[in-house]
Amino acid sequence: MGDAYIYDAVRTPRGRGKASGSLYTVRPVDLLATALTGLSDRNDLDTAQVDDVAIGCVTQTGEQGSCIARTAILVAGWDERVPGVTSNRFCGSGLEAINDAAAKVASGYADVVVAGGVEHMSRVKMGSDGGAIWDPSMEFDYGIVPQGISADLLATLHGITRQEVDAFAAESQRRAALAQAEGRFDRSLVPVVDRTGRVMLAQDEHLRPETTAESLAALKPSFAMMGTQFGLDALTRKRYPQVEHIDHVHHAGNSSGIVDGAAALLIANKAAGDRLGLKPRARIRSFASVGDEPVIMLSATVPASQRALKRARMTAADIDLVEINEAFAAVALYTQRGLGFRLDQVNVNGGAIALGHPLGATGAVLMGTVLDELERQDKATGLVTLCIGGGMGIATIIERV
Amino acid sequence: MSDHKDFRVEFDAATGVATLWMQMAGRANKINGAFGVGFVAALDDALAQAGLKGLVIASGHRDFCVGADLEFIYQTRDAEALYALVDGLHTTLRKLETAGVPVVAAITGSALGGGCELALACHHRIALDSPAVQIGLPEVSLGVIPGGGGTQRLPRLIGIQPALEILAQGQILRVPQALKKGLVDELARDADDLKAKAVAWIAANRRAQQPWDKKGFQWPGGVQPDTPEARNLFAGGAAMLVQKTAGAYKAPEAAVQAAYEGSLLTFEAALRVEARYFVDRVVSDQAKDMIRTFFFHKQAVDRQQGLPQVASDGFQKVAVLGAGMMGAGLAVICAQRGYDVVLKDITDEALTKARAHVQAEVGKKRHLSADDKQAIAARVTYTTDYADVAGSDLVIEAVFENLALKHRVIKECEAVLGEDAIFASNTSALPITALAEASVRPANFIGLHYFSPVEKMPLVEVITAEATSERTLARCLAFARKTKKTAVVVNDGYGFFTTRVFSAYILEAAELVAEGHDPVLVEWAARQEGMVVPPLKVFDEVTLTLGKKALESREAYTGEALDSPGLRLLKALVEQGRHGKAAGAGFYDYSAKPRRIWAGLRDLVPEPPEDSTVDYIAERLMLAQALEAARTLDEGVLKSPRDGEIGAIFGVGFAPNTGGPFAWLDRQGAANVVARCAQLVADGHARFAPPGNLKAMAEAGATFFD
Repeated sequence: MGDAYIYDAVRTPRGRGKASGSLYTVRPVDLLATALTGLSDRNDLDTAQVDDVAIGCVTQTGEQGSCIARTAILVAGWDERVPGVTSNRFCGSGLEAINDAAAKVASGYADVVVAGGVEHMSRVKMGSDGGAIWDPSMEFDYGIVPQGISADLLATLHGITRQEVDAFAAESQRRAALAQAEGRFDRSLVPVVDRTGRVMLAQDEHLRPETTAESLAALKPSFAMMGTQFGLDALTRKRYPQVEHIDHVHHAGNSSGIVDGAAALLIANKAAGDRLGLKPRARIRSFASVGDEPVIMLSATVPASQRALKRARMTAADIDLVEINEAFAAVALYTQRGLGFRLDQVNVNGGAIALGHPLGATGAVLMGTVLDELERQDKATGLVTLCIGGGMGIATIIERV
Repeated sequence: MSDHKDFRVEFDAATGVATLWMQMAGRANKINGAFGVGFVAALDDALAQAGLKGLVIASGHRDFCVGADLEFIYQTRDAEALYALVDGLHTTLRKLETAGVPVVAAITGSALGGGCELALACHHRIALDSPAVQIGLPEVSLGVIPGGGGTQRLPRLIGIQPALEILAQGQILRVPQALKKGLVDELARDADDLKAKAVAWIAANRRAQQPWDKKGFQWPGGVQPDTPEARNLFAGGAAMLVQKTAGAYKAPEAAVQAAYEGSLLTFEAALRVEARYFVDRVVSDQAKDMIRTFFFHKQAVDRQQGLPQVASDGFQKVAVLGAGMMGAGLAVICAQRGYDVVLKDITDEALTKARAHVQAEVGKKRHLSADDKQAIAARVTYTTDYADVAGSDLVIEAVFENLALKHRVIKECEAVLGEDAIFASNTSALPITALAEASVRPANFIGLHYFSPVEKMPLVEVITAEATSERTLARCLAFARKTKKTAVVVNDGYGFFTTRVFSAYILEAAELVAEGHDPVLVEWAARQEGMVVPPLKVFDEVTLTLGKKALESREAYTGEALDSPGLRLLKALVEQGRHGKAAGAGFYDYSAKPRRIWAGLRDLVPEPPEDSTVDYIAERLMLAQALEAARTLDEGVLKSPRDGEIGAIFGVGFAPNTGGPFAWLDRQGAANVVARCAQLVADGHARFAPPGNLKAMAEAGATFFD
């Protein structure tokens, strides 16, 4: 098997995912096309050389339905012979797209694949695509609960306290604000412009740098009422009979932000990269996706990362920098502790609590973030991992070249 | 006009309205094979009338239609044949609602289950405005789901959320509520008014169509299926259901699921989905066990089958000794049924509290007028003087559980009573024969064991001592009928039936905790099995002090020397002042909100056994109770397994989903139970030695019920 290399990574800034957000008036397909164009422009890419465009997107309905990858190729003005595929592994979709691309390239079935993701959460609401997971029988037979309940259950089971999640969230804000101020995201960012070229958004806008652990302490738990009054906590008892009460620790301030965003990466084998006149930035060492217990849902980052480490014949000690998606603060803390990483090597530029989590794009965003930071710190290895709805996890390990 | 045996059609040429009268053989209209044949034939007749403008479905019986024939539902295990029957019913009801003429249901009496579904298949429902009329879909309380389109028509008629509440809880509504919720459209004063309204509605709605058959149908309540809002409603409904049932009941889950899946489909396909879930539930063990107990056993026990009968108890004046919660509650239920009540205690303070309780309870009765409430409350007199008890026909003592005290009370009281008066003890455990030793009229002495809160708890355990006369029993049974209590009659023995089963439950829980099993798992295991209240919670409620005293009393009566890790734990907790809920400390810590298992318990018990699982704990909790029930039967305290099912479920909250302890044993299989018991005994739990009847049944491969 050959190697797959990352040649470049770009992303749009993340806009607040509501009608008042700067990207609300931008069509989802334009958001994705912005990322594609950003990638092709700055690499002077002959798009006819692209074998495939793999895009992760979770809520594939409405404006994000019907294979948005293919439509974005056309909107971006890419060569119309380039095909596109849109896939859904919930929050792991963006990273899944990278892994799929890497698999095609490494196996020799493709030479150049663009991977990425898009989620326009202000225009296409989370959950509006329905799905089998919503069937009442999944509650009766499995005790499936909404993610917020799972996150609180995870915290309860592992003794992660409200103070800890709030402190983690405040630190995410601090780090993100510093990173933005120092321009650490600038290498990846492609501004979103309107049809006359006026910039609509050039920087992430979800941050709340004034946040402190103390200010967060005042927020009410988001899932307590849902859990206790509407019976959702009770659903978890079948799997977790030992949990007498779920400690509801999560709220809007220590959970990932709802945002609009897109990202794209160029992945190719060495020969194709040479042909395109490009220099590889990193090699994909390994990746893994795993399924795990669906009620706790969010803890499979650990087995996914362990499997990826094993495939790469590495241990946690071999990893320099880590991006753990901050779906909920407890997930990041649980994963960091479970894998034995130090806090100062995890999410060094903040995470989704501060910057937002455009579901299908986040995996691709985080890959760009870790790559930029490895280069900035001149370090070698990075791991990206995300928890995934339905009880799955995904992880990818890269190494700079 | 044409005639059928059970169904006939009356045609009024002047109005063009045909009335399809249902009057099936027997006392009620039931949905069964005969209904299928007869109703269709009558419907065809009605539809063939020249000049037909509309149709009224009416009943010649007191009730409109009481639903499926439970005898048949209980017997059938043939999924194929049942599906065909249900399919036939759907075809008939579709024909009714799509025949092209307006159809009105004349609900002059209760429309329950399939009867309600028949009404839902009409275009318009007019109900008699009478407290005797009940409308609803109680199927899930018998382990089945609506099978006549109820899970599909109801949400399309009244909206997803209100329909889910009715379907999942098996709600039965009175007429005003049914009107409010939209199950009926109009009320009528009497039969004539109803008929006039039906004819008028038909005249005004010649082109009546079911909403779901109209083009562009929008679901009521503003939530359309297959939207995030609808999914939230279903998800919320499902979660609230599981919160209540802990997953022990399969029928309400099936009802929600059928409604959900059906909501996504065309109407006729939705009916087929419901039919599949219906058939699956009907042929299930849970449905059989629940129907047997909640329909057949309950009815037989309520009719006091096989017991001595008198038409009337002949009581006018009832005295209650001891004015605690129980005494005051007894005063309420007696006064409410027209008895003059004397409530006696030794202190005025107790009587003042009791008076407040009586007034509060009577005040809660919303269906009564202020005058009626006043009259009921006025029937109770409060006294500290036995002279006021004189002339009572029945005395129920509810004083502290102390033999010497009770003996004294019996003597003092009987001194003022007439020859014919009955003295009843509400003791929960002390043998009636021992109490009767103090009585000068032991033939008139009996045990009437009520459960707290007596206003709500439906059972009375009637205990006959050796000397209790048949007439005394018969009069007390008549009294139970009049006070609307289900009476289970047992023979005497320490703890009778219910207290023994209940004690086995909470003491087994204490043993499990003392062995190191996680108390949180103990509570959950009980809920998972369907027990109404988890054992440590209810232990705290009855108080640990009472538990300890009861054990001492049991030792005194049975001569058993009781010692075990669980009992030692109980004593230790009581010594530490953890007396139960009222004291704010027991197995639970009540200073936490919500209450939590007391963290300090961990320090009093060993590490959890390595093989501790919820299923192991659940098995011990259930087996302990079921074995005790079987022992009472073996010893002749309990007269029949039937009584045991009713006593255990209605008295002490044994898992209703199982049908009762004997149905539970049947499902386990006697041979399996005996083998499991042998293992538990070998593990050092001697109390699991099975009684002779179970061993014999294991040998013979016998069951308690067919």
